[in-house]
Amino acid sequence: MAYPYIHPSETRVLSKHFGEPEARTLKGWEARGGYEAARKALSMERSAVVDEVKASGLRGRGGAGFPTGVKWSFMPKKTDKPHFLVCNADESEPGTFKDRELMRWTPHALIEGLLVGAYAIHAEHAYVYIRGEFFEAAQIMARAIEEAYEAGYAGKNVFGLGVDIDITLHLGAGAYICGEETGLLNSLEGRRGEPRMKPPFPAISGAFRFPTAVNNVESLIAAAHVVLNGAAWYKQWGTEKSTGTKLFCVSGHVKRPGNYEVPLGFNFKEFIYDVCGGTPSGRPIKAVIPGGSSVPILTGDELDIGMDYEAMAAAGTMLGCGSVIVMDDTTNIVKQVRRMVDFYAHESCGQCTPCREGTTWAAKILRRIENGRGQPDDLETLLQISENMSGKTICVLSDAAAAPITSSIEKFRGDYEALMAPVPALAAR
Amino acid sequence: MSGHPNDDLHPESWPVAAANPGFAGDTGEFTQLTEDDVRGLSFVGIRPKDGGHASVAGTLPYQVAEKDPEAPIFSGPYEDRLEKVLSRYPDRQAALLPTLHMAQEVRGFLSPATLDEVAQKLGLSPAYVRGVATFYTMYNLAPVGKHLIQVCTNISCNLCGGDAVLAEFLKHAGTEVGETSANGLWTIIEVECLGACGFPTAVQINDRYFENVRPEDVPAVLAQLT
Amino acid sequence: MAETSNAPETVTCTIDGMEITVPKGTRIIDAAAMAGVDVPHYCYHPSLSAPAQCRMCLVEVEKVPKLVPSCSGTVADGNVIHTQSEKALQAREGVLEFYMVNHPLDCPVCDQAGECKLQDYISAEGPAMGRGKEPKRVLGRDDFGGDVLFYADRCVMCTRCVRFMREVAQDERLTVVQRGSRAVIDTFFEEGLEGNLWADNIVDLCPVGALVSKDFLHKARAWDLDRTPSVCPNCSQGCNVRLETRDNQVMRIKPRPNAEVNDHWMCDYGRLNYEWINRGARIEAPLVMDGGRHVSVSWSQALTRLADALRDSTAGVRAVVSPFAANEDLGTLRRVLETVGGGTGVFRCETGEEVPLPGFPTLKLRTDRAANVAGAEAFAFTRAGGTDGTGGIDDVAGHDGVIFVLGDELADAPADFGSRATLFVYVGQFLSPAARNAHFVLPSTTFAEMEGTFTNVQRRVQRFWPALQVPGMARPAWQVLGVLLAGISEDAQVPGTAAEAFAALGAVGAGFAGLGYDDLGAMGRVLPQLGALAEAGD
Repeated sequence: MAYPYIHPSETRVLSKHFGEPEARTLKGWEARGGYEAARKALSMERSAVVDEVKASGLRGRGGAGFPTGVKWSFMPKKTDKPHFLVCNADESEPGTFKDRELMRWTPHALIEGLLVGAYAIHAEHAYVYIRGEFFEAAQIMARAIEEAYEAGYAGKNVFGLGVDIDITLHLGAGAYICGEETGLLNSLEGRRGEPRMKPPFPAISGAFRFPTAVNNVESLIAAAHVVLNGAAWYKQWGTEKSTGTKLFCVSGHVKRPGNYEVPLGFNFKEFIYDVCGGTPSGRPIKAVIPGGSSVPILTGDELDIGMDYEAMAAAGTMLGCGSVIVMDDTTNIVKQVRRMVDFYAHESCGQCTPCREGTTWAAKILRRIENGRGQPDDLETLLQISENMSGKTICVLSDAAAAPITSSIEKFRGDYEALMAPVPALAAR
Repeated sequence: MSGHPNDDLHPESWPVAAANPGFAGDTGEFTQLTEDDVRGLSFVGIRPKDGGHASVAGTLPYQVAEKDPEAPIFSGPYEDRLEKVLSRYPDRQAALLPTLHMAQEVRGFLSPATLDEVAQKLGLSPAYVRGVATFYTMYNLAPVGKHLIQVCTNISCNLCGGDAVLAEFLKHAGTEVGETSANGLWTIIEVECLGACGFPTAVQINDRYFENVRPEDVPAVLAQLT
Repeated sequence: MAETSNAPETVTCTIDGMEITVPKGTRIIDAAAMAGVDVPHYCYHPSLSAPAQCRMCLVEVEKVPKLVPSCSGTVADGNVIHTQSEKALQAREGVLEFYMVNHPLDCPVCDQAGECKLQDYISAEGPAMGRGKEPKRVLGRDDFGGDVLFYADRCVMCTRCVRFMREVAQDERLTVVQRGSRAVIDTFFEEGLEGNLWADNIVDLCPVGALVSKDFLHKARAWDLDRTPSVCPNCSQGCNVRLETRDNQVMRIKPRPNAEVNDHWMCDYGRLNYEWINRGARIEAPLVMDGGRHVSVSWSQALTRLADALRDSTAGVRAVVSPFAANEDLGTLRRVLETVGGGTGVFRCETGEEVPLPGFPTLKLRTDRAANVAGAEAFAFTRAGGTDGTGGIDDVAGHDGVIFVLGDELADAPADFGSRATLFVYVGQFLSPAARNAHFVLPSTTFAEMEGTFTNVQRRVQRFWPALQVPGMARPAWQVLGVLLAGISEDAQVPGTAAEAFAALGAVGAGFAGLGYDDLGAMGRVLPQLGALAEAGD
């Protein structure tokens, strides 16, 4: 069952036990076949775990879509250095609320994922970095981790199989940029959450400068399913390059907002109109953001595509973390774009000049346009600011801020022009 | 499991309604809140002050309603908690975020003196600690009211009326964004995405999420926040 | 190059059409500098970590899809790098425009104007027109304590200052507070930088006018300054510096890089202790005691009369010299003393606590607060007096033979100093009560008015050059004493230049034999230690 609504078109793998309070407990989780995946993984060769996940084609669910197994294979073979697994549970991308539900309902599933991942990469310590606002999810995770320690499913000699895997919960403190993996690592180390220049990549120099894999909550849980049931089982869903099922978070102007799990490649239009019920008012859809606020906007006419990485890319946008934000035809696009850019300006770490200055500048121009004081050359300036912010910085926050600006001007230029001052603003003063 | 201070609030006994199985409330319960509801304790329970197991000690504030800006941060159970936290990282610096959380839990906000105390405890420079504390939005660098009300106005909530909910809170509290109401009870701020986008408008009050908040729910919510 | 296993691995790349071979691991920005290409940059500094955050040094590397920050990217074999391609120029122009979004453009009242990297790069590569229509952020000015003022609005957030305090001074008193465009450099509330001896280096590091020196505030425009390479005179470390002068006054002292001595740094004590160089009331003409009072005479008269007096003297000679005097001065005096039958000489030096720079421990504010203690010792002058640089000359004061004083002002000497001497020669800059007893008062120059060398605590001999006009008839002491020497010795030639004076020191200075200015190079030259020389029978 998805949360809070259920739909027959869903394929429930990760979300199967959403809404079942007993599944949160160790007893309840084991009654549902819990910890079989972790037990199986820890009995396998470490490299076999990596190979299985690699073969499944599972791609990282945090937004970038990098294959999880491949990421693990970049980790050095065991040396005398410690290795770390870090779970990215700093879910902060506007429109995204899937990891929260996964942790609220199935905390032990994440612990299994942590055990599988840590074992695969020779890590003896796994950190779960949960965003600080997720007090409730952190409480539930904490209780589950305590249960796992008490049962011998974490810590020394896990399952009596001679493997040591410690788990530590770490709470963030309010910073979107800590969802970026190197910003997260800096934050974990007690620093300002500023992303690091890559290379070196975390697999070489990550947490505390040791080899580290950073994986999203959903990726780790899916990996546990892959190990238990096999790559072929997982590949029964999805497309050739986008395998498996994925949680999609739906918000905005839809009748039934919430999390839905469908196979990748599911028809986007059917998803929005059938699964989510279309707009509550029945009005036409003006725009949809398919993968969280950082990806280019689609118009209501561009929805007849597959919900997979390749089809989204072909449509000029990205699957991102599967966060679908629906806007009906009453939406003031300029206001919403301004709100998103305000967000990026607020969340920019401030290291790189194009992001620090560009996000704020663009937000100021957008606000002026929104307030009816736009000038004819503002759109050109916005597009150039966006260009100068894209691909020029350490991380991609500034690219993310540029995406809604450029795509909205491209697709909804009329909305902007309608707000422009009727006469040149200088003359009007 | 026995002997845990949280036993009676163990998940098996969590009061979960089928219709609204989450922690966050629907509009129906906004009129019957208790102090523990507001602080989230009715649902997730009270954590021990010493943080419980070391693996989770750094993450779990014990939510005390009354903050004392003069209270010691590193004594009694809190000292044990810090030791547990420190045991989980290769260096003391990594304990900075959890330690700041702890200091705020005790004192309500992070004054310069508090930042300095944390810096000394962890062997860091006070300026460094200030730099870190100001990077993150959850650290209060000035005193806040008894209840910190954070209204999401980011895109998903905004599409569904987040601005109106914020305006309603401000109107009924008679205050401005970032200010504390005259009665000292409510500090209302605008917050970026809380990660509850499917349940707009999301409002975080203290540590607890209130979801599906409509403008018309606001008076009832505020009335409970005493 | 011969193929040996010890040869460093090299890579060859092309930068703006120039092929260059550099050691493996060289940063693109450094390789470009070797090829003579200056890539604009703010956050990068060769002696600090490279966070690659200013995004000013973006260059295009063929076959790499994104532009590469040349401060963090290293050169790979076969790289073809374009610093001036359209893509790179466009990106840098964009970055410069972003810097202008909140910059106050208060160049007319900014101390950095004229030596500001924002001005320079905007002028070279910036957009022709400003497009900003939005109100600018206004933060104002903050006193960081010590000598440092912070103009937050001018800051480009390169964080060089933060990294210097963390990595080099290892006294992390600066931080970035807040984030995004609200981010600003600050200290821990009112703590400031007071008491850190190295804080002013952040003023040098600041590429713009955000961090400025209170001492220099609104004192001079950068383009009015003349800059002369020199050596800091204020302790025996011998930091390489520039004397920056205007209207024949030192306006400020700035460090000059020398990886063997001070890297890019210097201490605030040395930097801010320059007013004495500008001191007036100098002796401007040679004075001769005539009928109980000093009478000004020409140099030829003075030196002829002195040579005559000295040639006939058989009395024992005692000398007091200043550790601020150049090797050339001290050595030439030693040659004079040798010629008149030898003699003992002392110097006094104020001392203080030694303060190392943790991130570059070669550099310390040294105990001896004078530049040429090692030079004085090399020419066989011995230390006397107390830690405040006074005392220790009682026996000289009452000496009834010949007394030479070189540079020491004798401020603490009794008024009857030298009154019993048969011949009392005072070579110096200021007339103190004690010097009034001198038979000859010969005006000499400070180090800032002459060419010469100091020997630092490592026994490194380093050159300095004249930055100021000589007052009146004052001359470098080596010249005065050189002429005198030629007058009393058949063998000695009058040195025409400081180089000649230096080259003649071999016989009297331990380790100086065979050395000339050409041997000193840009980094100076370390002489063998005195102990080693003694063992070798030098």
